[in-house]
Amino acid sequence: MRRRSFLAATGSGSLALTLPGCLDRASLARRGIPIRVLRPGMAEGHTLRDRTALPDAREEIHTGVAILGSGIAGLTAAWRLAQAEHPDFLLINGPEPDGNAAGGQLDGIPHPRGAHYLPLPSRESTVVREILAEQGILESDPAGERPRYREDCLVHAPAERLLFAGEWREGLLPTDHVTPGEATQHRRFLATMAQLGGRRGQDGRRVFAVPRTASSTDPAWQALDRQTFAAWLRAEDYTAPSLLAWLDYICRDEYGAGPTQVSAWFGLHYFASRNGQATNAEEGAVLTWPDGLAPLARGLRARIPAHCQRAGTALTVEENGADVRILVTTPDGPLRIRARRVICATPLHVTARLLDLRRHGCDPSQHLPLQAPWLVANFLLDGFPVETGDTPLAWDNVIHGSPGLGWVVATHQWIRAARPARTVFTTYRTLASQPAREARAWLATASADTLFDLAVSDLHQAYGVWEMWRRTQAVEITVRGHGMAAAAPGTLTNPGLAALQAADGTILFAHSDLSGYSVFEEAAHWGDRAAHKVLSGTA
Amino acid sequence: MSDAPFPASAPRLSDRLLILSVFVVASCGLAYELIAGALSSYLLGDSVLQFSSIIGCYLFAMGVGSHLSKYVDDRDVLARFIDIELLVGLLGGVSATLLFLLFAWLSVPFRTVLYALVFLIGVLVGMEIPLVMRVLHARQAPFSELVSRVLTFDYLGALAVSLLFPLVLAPQLGLSRTAFLFGMTNVAVALWTLWHFRLQVPDLRGRLLRGLVLLCLLAGGLAYAERLTRWAEQGLFGDEILYATTTPYQRIVVTRWKDDTRLHINGNLQFSSRDEHRYHEALVHPALQRLPHARSVLVLGGGDGLAVREILKHPQVEQVVLVDLDPEMTGLFSRNTELAALNGGALTDSRVTVINADAGQWLEAGSEVFDLIIADFPDPSSFGLGKLYSVPLYRLMGRHLSERGMLVVQSTSPWFAPLSFWCIDATLREAGFHTHPYHAHVPSFGEWGFNLATRHPGYAPPEHYSVPTRYLDRETTRLMFQFPPDMGRREVEPNHLNSQRLVHYFQQDWNRVVR
Repeated sequence: MRRRSFLAATGSGSLALTLPGCLDRASLARRGIPIRVLRPGMAEGHTLRDRTALPDAREEIHTGVAILGSGIAGLTAAWRLAQAEHPDFLLINGPEPDGNAAGGQLDGIPHPRGAHYLPLPSRESTVVREILAEQGILESDPAGERPRYREDCLVHAPAERLLFAGEWREGLLPTDHVTPGEATQHRRFLATMAQLGGRRGQDGRRVFAVPRTASSTDPAWQALDRQTFAAWLRAEDYTAPSLLAWLDYICRDEYGAGPTQVSAWFGLHYFASRNGQATNAEEGAVLTWPDGLAPLARGLRARIPAHCQRAGTALTVEENGADVRILVTTPDGPLRIRARRVICATPLHVTARLLDLRRHGCDPSQHLPLQAPWLVANFLLDGFPVETGDTPLAWDNVIHGSPGLGWVVATHQWIRAARPARTVFTTYRTLASQPAREARAWLATASADTLFDLAVSDLHQAYGVWEMWRRTQAVEITVRGHGMAAAAPGTLTNPGLAALQAADGTILFAHSDLSGYSVFEEAAHWGDRAAHKVLSGTA
Repeated sequence: MSDAPFPASAPRLSDRLLILSVFVVASCGLAYELIAGALSSYLLGDSVLQFSSIIGCYLFAMGVGSHLSKYVDDRDVLARFIDIELLVGLLGGVSATLLFLLFAWLSVPFRTVLYALVFLIGVLVGMEIPLVMRVLHARQAPFSELVSRVLTFDYLGALAVSLLFPLVLAPQLGLSRTAFLFGMTNVAVALWTLWHFRLQVPDLRGRLLRGLVLLCLLAGGLAYAERLTRWAEQGLFGDEILYATTTPYQRIVVTRWKDDTRLHINGNLQFSSRDEHRYHEALVHPALQRLPHARSVLVLGGGDGLAVREILKHPQVEQVVLVDLDPEMTGLFSRNTELAALNGGALTDSRVTVINADAGQWLEAGSEVFDLIIADFPDPSSFGLGKLYSVPLYRLMGRHLSERGMLVVQSTSPWFAPLSFWCIDATLREAGFHTHPYHAHVPSFGEWGFNLATRHPGYAPPEHYSVPTRYLDRETTRLMFQFPPDMGRREVEPNHLNSQRLVHYFQQDWNRVVR
């Protein structure tokens, strides 16, 4: 409505007056559309980085365990402590509650602001299965080969489609629409991945598993981490452009970086590790909600006593003899927390500013994982854009070879007698084509208009500028400068990460960064591990 | 006395005539523009957009016409002017009706034809004024006088129509007839110009004949325009249109032929008043007759109130909740006397609560429990609609059902769409219900199917009915629950949200029927 009233108020006269100044398509395409840009944690992070003067805390409280950060790792740690009836802990929410699992609403329509799906957990992902079972999403047999999942949480058909050679097609890999030579490579690749999925190392573990520390430690397999995925593909003679474009999409979607930046071990890990099955879903099915993974975060939070959660952002963490002193800014002013133990569930680039990681065996100048920047943009649309062709809108819609990662439809999982009058499309985009540091510097100051142009490009390509302009009522763009760890070569042998994983002193670490890539399963795993260290220490 | 030495300031009769035609021509030109704008706003919505683009296209086309006018040879100017008037009269006159018909029959190339027509009329109208000016100029009228006078009348004509159109013509005559009227005016200008300059125009007879034929044609159009637009929709529906409206959710058309009233939604027949009692008796009574203690009934869909009419026959029912998305639909069947007569005023009965909400959302949000739920949704022709026939939705309905309650589901045709029909049956069983499939012959639909679902076994079709029925009796009911081999049970998968088998089955079924 705002756009309509804007037009009515300014009238065509002023439109004509301003036209000469902005005749480029881009500025016309966003004319009158309100754009809101969120940069969660950026200001807080830069305060830490720039080491401005620290406030003086008058209030001091004591707690047994302080958990810093309430992304999935922090929430899982707190959930586990609450479940074990551990009496004494405090979860400091950090600048963005729920972290990458956060969701939002536009005109009452829930939508994701970060991660939007969870693959069916494999048997090794015990923590994830436990969380899903407790929330009633996993309905039976949580330890079994093929549990049963709540059907309305499985992605509804049609799940995916690909805009390839000018037409929408079902699925994301266009095997049926390429030359026989390329199709042969598609099949060879998938067969190899299926084979790797069942493969076990000398130690009896699966070669690729989630959490990744459950994978086999056979040196032969771990050696794959020394080369890039692109190098491995070349060596294995995968040259089909359609296959490589698909793998490029997969890598950017999963790791925020292309195959030339991602480790070969992780490139294969994506395909070979996720073998979760369900009695009531096909292979490769995923769980999703209108607002992405936010309902899972809410489910965890609901089981953490309210008095154990507090708004605030940690500024420093100091070991002081037997306990730890944490300085926190809260809406009620600065606060000093004295805790016996602390779980740093913050991203490692933040943790490195809270305390001296070198004392824990991790040198920030060498060991921090590369962080890929992301844009997550939500478009509130008045009616669904007009589709061309017979392949209907799917949950996930991807354009082959596009620098964007396509979009998901926030209302896809709704069950309605009529199509909703309004919907939200969520587009995803990484800035994989330029070095992450440069991209972040650019993102930090980029105008709302520039970010819009970047976020809308796939939608423009699919529906045209005019159709998008007339539908779009509002846009919310979430900038994630440090969106996810990019799984670069050397991650498996990164001694800094190994040291933080093993830490068992007063300071514990829990974050998907410890695994070198960013997924719900890894965050939950490290949150659970940290909680167990606390529980066994106090037992 | 010869007319040669007239002073230039006192224009001759022929010049006055030409100036008058400028006035008329300008009025017509603006009228076509307004008609096209109004029509496209009416049919396509978004009036600011429609008017802007129509006016833009039209003015641009007039520019093109003005440019083209220079290619008309000086000797042919008058003849071309008359030809153009005739052509504008024809195109402009039929424009509204043509677009109406086109929109009713084929909606796809509508915009293309709309803009092509607007452009064409614009080009022709754009040629008119330059040609008139050249005629006058050739007749030695002083240039300053000529320009001033032509443009004055041009703009006066525009003013006249801009006031007449919204205040008188559009409300009184409607768009189609207004267009025909202006078309006739254009042709009249051509004819009187032709007659006045009959000595200077070649092929007088041919032009006169064409003009007269056109005039008759347009007059006929004016007389029958109303009927033509009705035919356009009747072409779709076959019968006389009683009522038609487009709501945000659907296009509702009610037709009548003799005593048969029919409701169409988006072009699909919903009921025929001749045999709808078969459908609605079958939908309601086999379940409700077996629920002597039923107090509350939920109807999902079915905004026509016909199922509610049948439910209200049962005196034990104290409350009926009807959840239908479209307030236009339930409003129409509550307030329109002819349509409310069909459901016996059921929707305004004190026992009935009408809720205009999306059934899926309403079921998710609420917790009310009913003794009978009737799901009368549209056929599962899309992925969105397919979800209304899925295991989770039936489980959700189950949560709104009392322990001994029953659920009846409209289940498409077991004859035309056997895979779909049996898929709905399998889906209900997957959701934990005992199912009792049945079918009824509804002549306007063909063989139609239903599924009656219960939590517990032990349902048996009624042996008699305690309420008045026209179709159902003991024998009909017995046969309804029997499936002859050619409609027998098919082995199909249930409809899960993540597979949406039903939508695929439905497509398969109808691809087989419609060759």
